[in-house]
Amino acid sequence: MMSQFRSWWSAAARRTRFEDEMRAEMEFHLQARVDDLMASGVAPAAARRQARMEFGTADAIKDDCRQSRGLRFLDTTVQDVRFAWRMMRKTPGFTAAAIISLALGIGANTAIFTLVEAVMLRTMPIAEPDRLFYLAHGTGDNPGTSSNYGLFEQYAALTDVFDVTAYNTNGFKVTTPDGIENVDGIWVSGNFHAVAGVPMALGRGFAAERDRDIGGSMIAVISDHYWARRYNRAPDVLGQTLVLNGHTVTIVGVTAPEFTGLQPGTRPDITLPLSVRVLDEKDFLDMRDTWTSMPILGRVKPGVSEAQATAAADVALKQYMAREENQWIVTRNPDAFAAARLLPASRGSGSLRQRYATPLTVLMALVGLILLIAATNVANLLLVRGEARSKEVAIRLCVGGGRSRLIRQFLTESVLLAVCGALLGFVLAQWGTQAIMAFFESLEQPIFLDVSPNLRVLAFTTAIALIAALLFGLTPALKSTRLELSPALKEGGLQFGWTRRRWTAGYALVVTQVALGVVVIAVAGLLARSLHNLKTLNAGFNGEHVLVFTLDSYGTTLNDERRTALYADLLGRLRTLPGAVRVAASRSVPIHTSGNARLLDLPGPADRTLDRSAFTNIVTPGYFDAFGIRLLRGRDINEFDTSTSPRVAVISTAMARLYFGDRDPLGQTFGYQSEKDIRLTVVGVVEDTHQMNLRERAPAIVYTPMTQEKAQFWMNFAIRTAQEPAALSSAAVAAARAASKDVVIRYVRTMDQQVNASLMRERLLATFSGGFAALALILAAVGLYGVMSYNVTRRSREIGIRMALGARRGNVLIQVLRQTVVVSVIGIAIGVTAVLMTTKYMTTLLFGLSERDPATLMAVSVVLLITASVAGFFPARRAATIDPVRAIKTE
Amino acid sequence: MGKSAELLPGTLDMLILKAVSLKPLHGYGVLLRISQISGKALDIPQGSLYPALYRLEHQGLIAAEWGESENKRKAKYYSLTAAGRRRLREETEGWNRLATAIASALNTTPDEV
Repeated sequence: MMSQFRSWWSAAARRTRFEDEMRAEMEFHLQARVDDLMASGVAPAAARRQARMEFGTADAIKDDCRQSRGLRFLDTTVQDVRFAWRMMRKTPGFTAAAIISLALGIGANTAIFTLVEAVMLRTMPIAEPDRLFYLAHGTGDNPGTSSNYGLFEQYAALTDVFDVTAYNTNGFKVTTPDGIENVDGIWVSGNFHAVAGVPMALGRGFAAERDRDIGGSMIAVISDHYWARRYNRAPDVLGQTLVLNGHTVTIVGVTAPEFTGLQPGTRPDITLPLSVRVLDEKDFLDMRDTWTSMPILGRVKPGVSEAQATAAADVALKQYMAREENQWIVTRNPDAFAAARLLPASRGSGSLRQRYATPLTVLMALVGLILLIAATNVANLLLVRGEARSKEVAIRLCVGGGRSRLIRQFLTESVLLAVCGALLGFVLAQWGTQAIMAFFESLEQPIFLDVSPNLRVLAFTTAIALIAALLFGLTPALKSTRLELSPALKEGGLQFGWTRRRWTAGYALVVTQVALGVVVIAVAGLLARSLHNLKTLNAGFNGEHVLVFTLDSYGTTLNDERRTALYADLLGRLRTLPGAVRVAASRSVPIHTSGNARLLDLPGPADRTLDRSAFTNIVTPGYFDAFGIRLLRGRDINEFDTSTSPRVAVISTAMARLYFGDRDPLGQTFGYQSEKDIRLTVVGVVEDTHQMNLRERAPAIVYTPMTQEKAQFWMNFAIRTAQEPAALSSAAVAAARAASKDVVIRYVRTMDQQVNASLMRERLLATFSGGFAALALILAAVGLYGVMSYNVTRRSREIGIRMALGARRGNVLIQVLRQTVVVSVIGIAIGVTAVLMTTKYMTTLLFGLSERDPATLMAVSVVLLITASVAGFFPARRAATIDPVRAIKTE
Repeated sequence: MGKSAELLPGTLDMLILKAVSLKPLHGYGVLLRISQISGKALDIPQGSLYPALYRLEHQGLIAAEWGESENKRKAKYYSLTAAGRRRLREETEGWNRLATAIASALNTTPDEV
C-alpha cells in the first residue's frame, strides 16, 4: 500500500520526468524493433511502418500506462478543477453570489463552533481526566456544586472510594513594587494538584498540605501566564516570595501552559492552600450553616465504578444533610440536595458552561440553518446554471461522454466553490469570534478563552464545507445530467407553464429556504423580545444617573474601627464632588451577584414548610434615594441609627407580605437563626427590587444600617449624579485613592452598564441571532428572486404568446406574483410548524413571553411574506413588460 | 504465427514476471523473451505490454532501472523484486493446479464417469 503510494507520488510529483521517460522507453522499443526487422532484411521505411503497426497507438498505450500508475484520477481531477475554474471566472456574478453565500454560512458556523469548542468540548489537560468528577448534588438539569467544608470532610472520609479535593475561586491582592494589584486565583484544599492531576511546568503542586495546619503551609503555585507576565519566565521563580492579602508566601511551583484552570473562561493565576485563608477567616473550616461556591472534586479510585462512587457519595450526602443545622437549606430547596451526582470533570465545569450551554446550542442550531439556506441558494444557482448548460451536457452525452464523468465534473465545481467559501468564511469567522469575545471581555469578571483557530476548528470547517458542497451540488449534478436528449438539443423547445419536472426541484428549494428563514427569524424575534422585556421591566429602582464602584479592603491591615472610619470619610469626600446629588454605601447593589441570604428567626409558630430566609443588605442613609427605591411606609434609615441606638431594619414589600401577612409590619421584631440574641425592629417598608438579576423575582430583603453591623470587607459606593454619571468616574476613583492607599477600587461602572452586563447572555443572543436573522432574510430573498427571475426568463416566450393573444400586463404581473406568494405561504406554514415544535428547547432563554408567542410568529410571517413579495415583484414586473413580438422572435 | 494461441486473461502478468525473473530485461526484451520461452506459441499484444509493466512496477512486483542496451542505447530495465518472486511462485503453483485439474477433466473418458 505504502509502496504504491510512493510510486504514485513519484510519478505525480515529477510528472515531466515520468512523461519523458515513458516516451524514451517507447521510442527505444520501436527503434529496437526496427533494427531487428532491418537485420532480417526489411527495407528501412517498411521496417519503421511495420514496427509502428505492431506497436499500436502510442497515445492510447501511454494513457493506459498512466492509468496503471493511478495518474488518470489525478489528471481528470486537474482537468475538472481547471474547467470549473474557467466556468467560475466566466460568470463572476454567479461565482461571487455563491461564494459569498457560502462564506457567510460557513463563517458563522466556524465562529460559533470555535466558542462551542472552547467552552464545551475541550478536554482538560489533566492526568486521567476520566476518573475525575465533580461531587455535585440535585435532581434537576442544573446540579449544584455549592458546599461547605463540613460536606467536604464528609466526602473526604470515603477514602476507599475516592480522593477528594475542593477549590474556591477568588481574587488576591498582590503587593508589587508598582502598588497593589488584583490577581485572579483560587483557594484549594491541600491536595489539589495531586488529586486533580494538574500538569506542572516547574516545581511541585500541592499534594499533602493539611487544611487545618493553619499558617503551616505558606506556599503558592502560579500559572504559566502569571510566570510569563510577572517573572518573564525566569527559572529562579521557585523560592521567591509573593506578598498577597498581607501574607508572605513562597512560590513552589508553576503549572503547565496548557492548564488554564478547571473552569473554561476563568484563568486563576495564583493558587493558595485553604490553610492560608483560615488565617483571615478563622471559622471558614467550621461554618456549618453557610454554603459557598466551593466545588468538590473526587478522583475515583481504580477499580471503583462510577455507579459505586455515586452510591457512596449519595449516602454521605444524605447523612450530612440530615443534620439539624442543614434543615433550613433542605427545606428551602429540597430537590437541590435530594441526591448526589457525579459530573465528569474532564471537560471542566463552572458557570460559563452552565450559562452558555443552551445559548451556544441555540446559536449553533441557527447557524446550521443559515448554512442550509446558503447551500440551498447555491443549489438553486447551480440548478439554473445546469439548465443553461443543458445543451453542452446533451452534446457531451450524445458523443458518448459518461454521465458519471459529468457528475464528477459538476461536483468538482461544487467542491471548488465550497473551498473558496470556506477560505473566505474562515477569515470572517475570526472576525466574528473577536466580536463575541468583545462581549465577554466587557464583563466585571472578564471571560478568558483561547479562541485562536485550532485543528478541531479547522477540521470542522473543512467538514461542513464538504457536506455543504455535497448538499448543494448533488441534486443539481444529478438533475442537470439527466435529460431527454432530443428536446434539449432542439433550439428553444417551447415550454409551457411550470410543469417541467426539473423545476419542481427549484420550488422545493425555495420553500425550504423560506421555512428555514422563518425558524431563524422567529427564534431571533423571541430572543429580541425577551431582551426588550427584561430591559423594560420595572425592577423597583431607578439606575439612571447612578455611578457605582466597589471598594475592596479584604486582606488589608485595616481593623474594623478604621474600616468604618474610612467608609465615613470616603462618603464625605464623594458628597463634595461636583454634580453628586446623593451618595450612599451598601454591601450589595441591585442586579449584582454579590449578596447574602440569611435564615430568619420570626415571631410566631415555626412553620417548617415556609422558606424563612431573606436577602440581607447593609446600607448607609441615602441608599434608597440614591437608587430611587421608593419608601412606602415608615421611615428611612437615618443618622440617628447608630451603634448604640436600638437595632432597626427596613424591609421590602415582599418581606412584609411573606412573613408578616396581614399584620402591620411596622414595629414588628425578628432576628436571625444563627444569631438569636439580635432583635431588629421594622421601621420602614420599601418597594420591591430585583436583586441578583432581572429574571428572578424580587426577593424578601432586610436592610440594616451600616453603623449597627460589623464592618464589611467589601462595600459598594453609589453616587446619584445630576449629569452623565460616567463623567464622574475618574473624580470618584481619585477621591477613593485619596481616602486610602491600602484598598483596591474596582468595577467602576454606571448602573446602566451593570444592568447591561447582567444581561450579557441575553444581549449576546439577541445581537447575534438578530444578525443571523437578517442574513437568513437576505439569503432567502436572493434565492426567491433568483428562482422567480429565472422562471420568467424561461417562460418569456410563453408569456409573449399569451400577451399576443390578448393577456393583459396586469394579469401577467399578478400571475407571476401569485406564484411567489403561494411558494412563500407554503414555506411559512412549514416554518411556523417547525417553530412550534422546536422552540420548547429554549424556554429558559426567554423572558416574559411564551415560546410560541403568537405575536412574534405573526410578525415573522408578515415580514417574510413582504420580503418574498418584494423579491418576487421585480421578476413579475419584468414579465409584465415583455415585448410579445421580441419574445416570440427570439429563442 | 498462424499457430500462436490467444493469451488467457491474467496470464500476461505471470509471463512478464517469469521473463524478468531470469535476468533484467527492457520492454522489448520482455516481448522477445516471452516469445522465445513459449516457443513462439504465444502472441503478446504489444499494446498491453507497457501498461502491464507499469502496473507491475506500481504494485512493487518489478523494479525499473535505466541502463544501457546491447547497441549502447539507453533503455529501461526491469527486474523482479522479492515481492515479485513471491507472487510468481504463487501464480505458478496456482496455474499448475488449474492446468492439472483442467487437463484431467478434459482427459476424462466415458467409462471413468
